[in-house]
Amino acid sequence: MSLSTGERPRTWPTAPAPGRRSRIRRVAADLAMGVRFAFTGGREGWTRAVLTAVGVGLGVALLLLTTALPHALGVRQEKEAARTDITFTGRWLPKADDTLVVANVGSDFRDDSIRGRALEPEGPRAPLPPGVERFPAKGEMVVSPALQELLESDSGALLRERLPDRIVGTIGESGLIGPAELAFYQGAEGLAPHIDSGRIVRIDGYGDPNATSERSDPVLLLLILVVFVVLLMPVVVFIAAAVRFGGERRDRRLAALRLVGSDSGMTRRIAAGEALAGAMLGLVFGAGFFLAGRRLAGTAEVFHISVFPSYLSPSPLLALLVAVAVPTAAVLVTLLALRGVVIEPLGVVRAGRPPRRRLWWRLLLPLAGLAMLYPMIGDGRDNGDFNQYLVAGGVVLLLVGVTALLPWIVETAVARLGAGGVAWQLAVRRLQMSSGTAARTVNGIAVAVAGAIALQMLFTGVEDDYTRSTGQDVAWAQVEVTLPNAVPVAPAAEKLRNTKGVNEVYDYSEGHLGDRARDPQAGTTVTVGGCSVLREIADLPSCADGDVFAVHGAERDTGVDVAKLAAPGRTLYLDPSYEGGPKSLEIPWTVPQDVKTANPRHALLAGTDRGGILITPKAVPDTLTPALQGHAYLRLDESVPDVHDRVRNTAAAVDPLANTVTWAQTERTGRFDAIRTALLVGAACVLALIGASLLVSQLEQLRERKKLLSALVAFGTRRRTLSLSLLWQTTIPITLGLLLATAVGLTLGTVLLKMTATTVRVDWSSVLAMTGIGAAVVLTVTLLGLPSLLRLTRPEGLRTE
Amino acid sequence: MTPPAGSLLWAEQLRKAYGPTLALDGAEFSIHPGEVVAVMGPSGSGKSTLLHCLAGIVTPDAGTIMYGGRELSAMSDAERSALRRSEFGFVFQFGQLVPELTCVENVALPLRLNGSSRKEAERAALTWMERLEVDELRKKRPGEVSGGQGQRVAVARSLVTNPRVLFADEPTGALDSLNGERVMELLTDAARSTDAAVVLVTHEARVAAYSDREIVVRDGRSRDMERAV
Repeated sequence: MSLSTGERPRTWPTAPAPGRRSRIRRVAADLAMGVRFAFTGGREGWTRAVLTAVGVGLGVALLLLTTALPHALGVRQEKEAARTDITFTGRWLPKADDTLVVANVGSDFRDDSIRGRALEPEGPRAPLPPGVERFPAKGEMVVSPALQELLESDSGALLRERLPDRIVGTIGESGLIGPAELAFYQGAEGLAPHIDSGRIVRIDGYGDPNATSERSDPVLLLLILVVFVVLLMPVVVFIAAAVRFGGERRDRRLAALRLVGSDSGMTRRIAAGEALAGAMLGLVFGAGFFLAGRRLAGTAEVFHISVFPSYLSPSPLLALLVAVAVPTAAVLVTLLALRGVVIEPLGVVRAGRPPRRRLWWRLLLPLAGLAMLYPMIGDGRDNGDFNQYLVAGGVVLLLVGVTALLPWIVETAVARLGAGGVAWQLAVRRLQMSSGTAARTVNGIAVAVAGAIALQMLFTGVEDDYTRSTGQDVAWAQVEVTLPNAVPVAPAAEKLRNTKGVNEVYDYSEGHLGDRARDPQAGTTVTVGGCSVLREIADLPSCADGDVFAVHGAERDTGVDVAKLAAPGRTLYLDPSYEGGPKSLEIPWTVPQDVKTANPRHALLAGTDRGGILITPKAVPDTLTPALQGHAYLRLDESVPDVHDRVRNTAAAVDPLANTVTWAQTERTGRFDAIRTALLVGAACVLALIGASLLVSQLEQLRERKKLLSALVAFGTRRRTLSLSLLWQTTIPITLGLLLATAVGLTLGTVLLKMTATTVRVDWSSVLAMTGIGAAVVLTVTLLGLPSLLRLTRPEGLRTE
Repeated sequence: MTPPAGSLLWAEQLRKAYGPTLALDGAEFSIHPGEVVAVMGPSGSGKSTLLHCLAGIVTPDAGTIMYGGRELSAMSDAERSALRRSEFGFVFQFGQLVPELTCVENVALPLRLNGSSRKEAERAALTWMERLEVDELRKKRPGEVSGGQGQRVAVARSLVTNPRVLFADEPTGALDSLNGERVMELLTDAARSTDAAVVLVTHEARVAAYSDREIVVRDGRSRDMERAV
């Protein structure tokens, strides 16, 4: 046969010769193939990639938020400092063309605070507050956008009564510390005579030039540090779990690759490429979530804190660290996970009985953590700041110890679990076969609960140091109204008495008496009130209108001989002047001859014994009135809706400068409360995140077992049995996880308390609350997974075409 | 139309659609106690859907299925589940054994679902495992046994409740010919010995050869084939 006949020789196509590529290019090609695999595989492939990316993205967003928070809080502080007007420095300024009189007319509306200032410019160069373009005239005000919205809404009608001024503008972002802040500046006249009352000052500029940062409190710094570590650890654990979503399917795919000739090194690199793709997409998602969250932050308020989106800018260095650390961690976790798996061409081999987990190195982690914290035990707050590296390292190791110990505990415990019903058997056998997966699922919750228990212990332990009793008896009165000087108290009290929800009003006026008109050597308080009110202040022998009393030996008058000061016929001066300050009223008053003696008592009206001189109304000459300041104490019927705001409205109608204070038994340091609030916000975010991760992982496991579940239902297994089995599968590891978390949390809490030299006390209710919240998250996730279980066990699951 | 005399399971005019795809379009079927019927046809012809309808796993859109004088298609989901637990047995292509349970626990599972005690169920399970020559695997998990062994364990599981009808969907599809033949021998012998009817879905003629009668499904319609002897 010759070629000329037109027939061609029959040959098979030959395969191209294997390429000779450098090792780096080979690794890159394997990684790229992994990246491709992450996004191929149709709908399922995409779903898996998106689930991983959502998981990693949520973690990344939280990490970015954490890196942005210090900046956001810093900007809030800077803004607050820039608009500071009342500095309590005692500096007295004379009136000039660049001065401004500012009165604090802030108030509360329901649970919100309203920052309010009345402004009276004294010259053309008076300083404008930040964010305000021109001074409002009397009867006008400029308000924050949030306050404007509130005033224009139906729910703000009651507040509108208190702030009836015409709105002529809004305060710009530079004058506010958050978009939800309620603030206003109103025009005022005649403020100058009231300067020096503490709430009214003359200034020539905003900002506190002598601002000094508070000395750092070692215990507060320790709290902040531990809060950060405790909140970030579960996020890291969560990310580690998220990059393992879809692991079983990936292993099968890798086995198929082995079949067509990829060696085990290539397989691992391809797996790393897949993980890298998920993590990178997660970074993109995370940045997206963060930006969306940032926009949302402009409209949300959490625990009365709001921030402008522009405040939430992560530090570039920390953001870079997140961008590098997350993909690296994803690859490392994947390679670590592949250690226990042998991928063979004919399938994935997981050793039927993997080697038992060893306890010794798992115990080393928490022990090393304790060893790092141990040298700081007993330091207290008097030995400077705690070593933050040792604190962070110690806490991290203790919490990482939870994630290391939990798989061992779950494995050991479930190996001993006996027989039970079918649901129990299915659950226990599954746990025995893959206790590591079960432990990983609850690791995040266990770490979060352990950290939260420790923090709660620390907070409860040091709470007393940051809380002081106000001495106010809230059973006796709930609100105190203080009037500006010279405003008569009796008519004001009458108006308050007629306010809906006010049951009783105790009113009196007070001033300061000195032995000299200027720079007095001795002085005391003068209180003017009816006999019934004066009896609440001191033990009176008898009382009739027209009587005057001198209270001897009161604690408040320590160092003052009231008997000598109030000698009959002696002239004293109400509102004396002091060197360096403006001239006061210096009103002379002569002690009457028939002045009576009274004994001090722990006064209900002020929390302490008051002492001084007590005068009934008929004995007060009119000349004293301008120097007296009125006070009213109100007992309320708290069941009347908005009773506190009705009282504030009445007080503001009496005089806009009236100060209304709601009584409380205790008050806490603002920074302590702020840290506690941050913990609550963070813990809520972390638990929601872990809940979402648990749900994703549970749904994925269910999807992996779709065919098996359908087969079980096909031969008659009740769905109730499968649901119960799912519940057991979650309940057993979470119970073990929470027990371990409680033990580690209590240990860490004890160590932290000993470091602060505080008595160790366990607040079992908060331990129960924390473990309860952890358990509730798991239960909720299981319940949310049930509809999927029911859907996946439909007989249609058996279809293959 | 009334069921043929003596038939255990009978269906007529079955229609079932999955979205726009018509899986069954007027299929018919009947089987007597102790009979082995092979349902044959190409991939996607509707044979598995027919099996799922006959077993009460899915309900047809139209048509009637009678089992032991009761209308299966009119039963509630709970009633059909109870029927599957007590009177039907199943073998699937990949065994679908629960990977976490040992082989004996897998075989005992249907009995335990029916309320038997663990000991009682495992004793019965072992008897069937011995009969299917897999009793030495009782403590092993499905991941530790071969495909053929796993399928024999699955057959044991399908027979442990002494079902009146055994549904086998491509029971040898994942096995080599030797193992496939061994599984089919054991399955049909065991079924005949207990007078169980077998509905055998397959596309392999050599597997269908174990049946007494063949039904061919094509485009959702069924046709009884005369067997050439």
